[in-house]
Amino acid sequence: MADTKFTQPVMGRRTFIGGTLAAGAVAALAGCGGESKDGGKPASGDKVMNFYLSEPAFIDPYNAQENQGTAVVFATFDGLMEWDWDTASPVPACAAEAPTVSEDGRVYTFKLREGMKFHNGDPVDAESFIRGWKRVASPKMEAPSDICYHLAPVAGYKEFNAGDTEEFAGLKAVDELTLEVTLTDPMADFPAVCCHPGLAPVPQCALDDPKAFLERPIGNGPFMLTEPWKHNQYINLAKFEDYYGDAPKLDGVYMSIQKDPDTAFNEFEAGSMDFAAIPTGKIKKTVEKYGKSEDGFTSTPGKQVMLGTELSTYFLIPSPTDPYLGKDNPKASMVRRALSLAIDRQNIVDTLFEGSRMPATSIMPTSIDDSPENVWEDCKYDPEAAAKLLDEAGYPANGDGKRDIQITLNYNGDGDHGDLMSAVQLNLEKVGITVEQSTVEWATYLTQLSEKNFCLGRLGWTADYPTMDNFLYPNFYTGADNNYEEYSNPEADKLMLEARQIKDEEQRKAACRKICNLIGKDMPVIPIMFYAHNYVGSERMKSFKYDAQAKPHFQTAELA
Amino acid sequence: MQYPNLDSVNVEGAPAQAVKRDGQAGKSRTLWGDALKRLKKNKLAMFAIVWILLIVVIAVTADLWVPQTLGDPTASDTATMASSSRLAPSLEHPFGTDTLGRDVLSRVIYGARISLTVGIVATGISTAIGLVMGALAAYYGGIWDAIIMRLADTFLAFPYTLFVIAMIAVMGDGIQNVFIAIGILGWPSIARVFRSAILSVKESDYIDAARSMGASDIRIIARHIFPNSVASIVVYATMNIGGAILTEAALSFLGLGVIPPDPSWGTLIQEGQKFLQTEPWLMILPGLAILTTVLAFTLLGDGLRDALDVKMKDA
Amino acid sequence: MLRYILKRILQFIPVFLGVTLILFIMQNVVPGDPIKLIAGEKKMDPQTEMNIRAAHGLIVTDENGNIVFDENGDTIETPLVSRYFNYLGNLLQGDLGTSYQKGRDVRDMIFEAYPYTVQIALVAIVLEAIVGVGAGIISAIKRYSFWDILVTLTTSMLVAMPAFWLGLLLQLFFGIWLKDATGGAFALPVSGVPGPHPQFPGWMYYILPAITLAAVSTAYTARIMRSQLVEVMNQDYIRTAKAKGLSKRSIIFHHALKNALIPVVTYIGMDFGAMLAGAILTETVFNWPGIGQQTYVAITQRDWPIVMGSITVIVVVVMIINLIVDVSYAFLDPRIRLGNKSEK
Repeated sequence: MADTKFTQPVMGRRTFIGGTLAAGAVAALAGCGGESKDGGKPASGDKVMNFYLSEPAFIDPYNAQENQGTAVVFATFDGLMEWDWDTASPVPACAAEAPTVSEDGRVYTFKLREGMKFHNGDPVDAESFIRGWKRVASPKMEAPSDICYHLAPVAGYKEFNAGDTEEFAGLKAVDELTLEVTLTDPMADFPAVCCHPGLAPVPQCALDDPKAFLERPIGNGPFMLTEPWKHNQYINLAKFEDYYGDAPKLDGVYMSIQKDPDTAFNEFEAGSMDFAAIPTGKIKKTVEKYGKSEDGFTSTPGKQVMLGTELSTYFLIPSPTDPYLGKDNPKASMVRRALSLAIDRQNIVDTLFEGSRMPATSIMPTSIDDSPENVWEDCKYDPEAAAKLLDEAGYPANGDGKRDIQITLNYNGDGDHGDLMSAVQLNLEKVGITVEQSTVEWATYLTQLSEKNFCLGRLGWTADYPTMDNFLYPNFYTGADNNYEEYSNPEADKLMLEARQIKDEEQRKAACRKICNLIGKDMPVIPIMFYAHNYVGSERMKSFKYDAQAKPHFQTAELA
Repeated sequence: MQYPNLDSVNVEGAPAQAVKRDGQAGKSRTLWGDALKRLKKNKLAMFAIVWILLIVVIAVTADLWVPQTLGDPTASDTATMASSSRLAPSLEHPFGTDTLGRDVLSRVIYGARISLTVGIVATGISTAIGLVMGALAAYYGGIWDAIIMRLADTFLAFPYTLFVIAMIAVMGDGIQNVFIAIGILGWPSIARVFRSAILSVKESDYIDAARSMGASDIRIIARHIFPNSVASIVVYATMNIGGAILTEAALSFLGLGVIPPDPSWGTLIQEGQKFLQTEPWLMILPGLAILTTVLAFTLLGDGLRDALDVKMKDA
Repeated sequence: MLRYILKRILQFIPVFLGVTLILFIMQNVVPGDPIKLIAGEKKMDPQTEMNIRAAHGLIVTDENGNIVFDENGDTIETPLVSRYFNYLGNLLQGDLGTSYQKGRDVRDMIFEAYPYTVQIALVAIVLEAIVGVGAGIISAIKRYSFWDILVTLTTSMLVAMPAFWLGLLLQLFFGIWLKDATGGAFALPVSGVPGPHPQFPGWMYYILPAITLAAVSTAYTARIMRSQLVEVMNQDYIRTAKAKGLSKRSIIFHHALKNALIPVVTYIGMDFGAMLAGAILTETVFNWPGIGQQTYVAITQRDWPIVMGSITVIVVVVMIINLIVDVSYAFLDPRIRLGNKSEK
């Protein structure tokens, strides 16, 4: 493992044709000391954490997006900044210090630490960041990244991403260890953007042999892959001896890829897994048996069940063209507020999720900012108030209690939302609304959403960066990408742009709270619940943190 | 392909090769009369008929008594939802309740409506298409035969379950699309049955006689050939109903069939699967409903086959 | 014989073209845009979308890979027909394309998944042959005995139950109840394939999925075996043998079985082909990463390169197996002359 000069094994097509047998041979070839023959798992005396993972889409940072992929990238790559949950702000990682910002707020200068190395021994310099970022934005990759929008604030992104030029104008290596990033417009949250695992540095070999890099990325993080990704089986990580930061206390992480969380949980109960997801219906029992983590994100012996709130909100989204909920109805916001008041979130969360979700109080998950100012007034259960609002909006109840409102709940039938939607239907029917459901496949559903061919749909929003702006701007700014409901509030728009320029963290947060509250008065979407962890760590983990953004903190993890 | 689904394809499927033993005209009245007598003697078949009738009666009359006694199959009281969630079977709820506190027996009964409808409608569709295609292929022969049989081969070459799923993807969820998808994909087998049945009687003297008397092609097929093949078609269709029910269950199990909150047997199994460890009856009981119903149609099909003296290869 | 094989292969070509053409037409009529789908709930930026489309050859690019625009500044969609011929051309070179979702070589993905399907099919087919043939023989020899009725009832039930439900029942009995009954000492694995550090001995992972996969066809095998043996036993040469005073055992195992087995072997062979087509439900219930499940997921994600690649491979494999079965049928049964068979 100490041998940092190993050459990258090339897993070409030819070696793969033999199927499983040949793949085994490749694994043996990839060995570079320190591994046992046993599938690359270090000897049992070593401190190796067994980590449950479902099959990622990409572990190459250029396209790292879902939790599975980012878990691997977080362990194997370090970006310029990382998010510090204690202060709720970005702190330097590869950067030696916080970046300096130009007077107009457009130019960020990052000084890099000295002596950082990639897993293959190449130095980490400003150029390697430019290389990595260009891969993210490049249209010429075999499968171009779809997370390139993270770099959209950087000047020259548009031309580069369109393939008009080979140069990314906003990125400049001033010297070996100084990276200068120029933005198109000021964006005070840019250092938080730099926390995204996709914006990592890569060594030259990523360009020379992209196919191999896709299967075995060479990073600069505290852990490295000891062999190429064994699809649907495992990803094996070992401690990187030349890591620039504090040396990890683990010798390695064995990421066991399991399709079925139940299997992983069974293995956890059998003692062969250190981290697993708790299956439906077993949360209460697991809490009784293993104890509940105090902060919801850290597992320590006896307090092992992590149920902390994640940076994701599950909400219902009205179509802008709906006759009751959409833009053509002047009373639409009253109807939406009434719907929100009619839904018994606590009941849904308790019955369907054993309390392992949080009833939403607004679009803003409490784990990102728990100020009461964010709370939307009508995000609570009050059927009488709902009925009253509907009366006022011009939909009085008939003799049989029914009102002249028909709602269709649209969602994807293959995503296990049926019970939740049926519960919502019952709630809404109780205040006299006529409700039916309509399901399609996931792929078709997304088309329905973008073609506005729905009535009341559902969406989940997961933060890209743990910033408040990330819950507001993409969902509610006029014309923003994810503003499927076509919400438009000139005042909110103005405040959002202004907030983006406030340099002081606290002031910016205060501004965002105001915006959140303002938007909530219109109830543009109907938040239902905040997603939460349902994970458990093993007793032998002295300490392991799995944060709200699903980043496993392997570097600080400790095994007894 | 008798049950052309659920991961096991009866390739050399018995009914697909069904050939009627004696294709003599003019025998049909006694044939059906004798068949009925024989069927009555077959205890298993009679049992199957009773079971099917029972389910049909329950399903048809469900609105009159099920919601009143057992509870609404689709709705529950939100106020007491948490306390009535996933109760174990009891006198009040013989099959227990589901997560939302709805009575599972009530849902199984309403699920029967969907399953029976799918079975019958889908089989009707595939039989209709199959008859037309089979008749065209056999009666006109030559290029028609070649094209239709290659088309049948193409349909049969597709992995069946994948094909149904792809069809649902094209048409969208919803029970009527399930009818159509299963119906459309089922035609090749019945076309083969009908084709071989026609071929076996096409050259017989009485067909020649009819033709020489100036009867039109359609008339010949409808008046002379069809009645002689009807026995094998009836047997095939009866067995096919079970297959269609199983396919619908599989689709609903994958979340592609009925739309919530309506229950289908496949949906109920899918919902119950999550609680295999803690409330296994949620998964077991709807499965038993499928098992007994499909079994009844199979036994009835077997009984009809014996009674109508339809010779099936390999069965 | 050679002529027959050639004829079969020629017959297969229109079927193959038909299957792939139907899939291509489906791509165009099915709702859901595969490229927009990559980004999931987050909407994709138009330029990104264009770049990905160009990379997968869905819109027209020039020889340098730059996107070509029409006079209105819009991209030009690659016509379906030329995509179809591109697909066929690439197929001839062994290139199955790149997955939209994973950016990986489809061929690699199929080579990863297919071994699992083949493994489970092999176990299932052995099970089916042994249990099915055995039960059929017992049932035929002791007609109307307790055993015969048991076999008949069991096979009827197996044929009538959804395979995925059987799979769940097996999980319940052998994964959960057995574990509880033995105080956690013994259970069978209910999900997944043996990894490099399996919790159970590797072979145990195959038991339940193989039983589930084999169940329905084992029932058919037993039924065919029984009816064939009964029929053969009524034939003249067997009666002659009986009259000669040969023992029943000797008649069955030396004379009757040989002929009765031929259709059974054919059925099992065909069924093996069907199993190699992948078993979506069995694979889904047991989290078995085979070709059926992979293709199913690809359909839901509209990842057409995987769908096309997998179905192409499946259809060819099934065709080859069926051809082998038919040819060996002729060897087994001298009465059959393949050249004279019109259909099948």
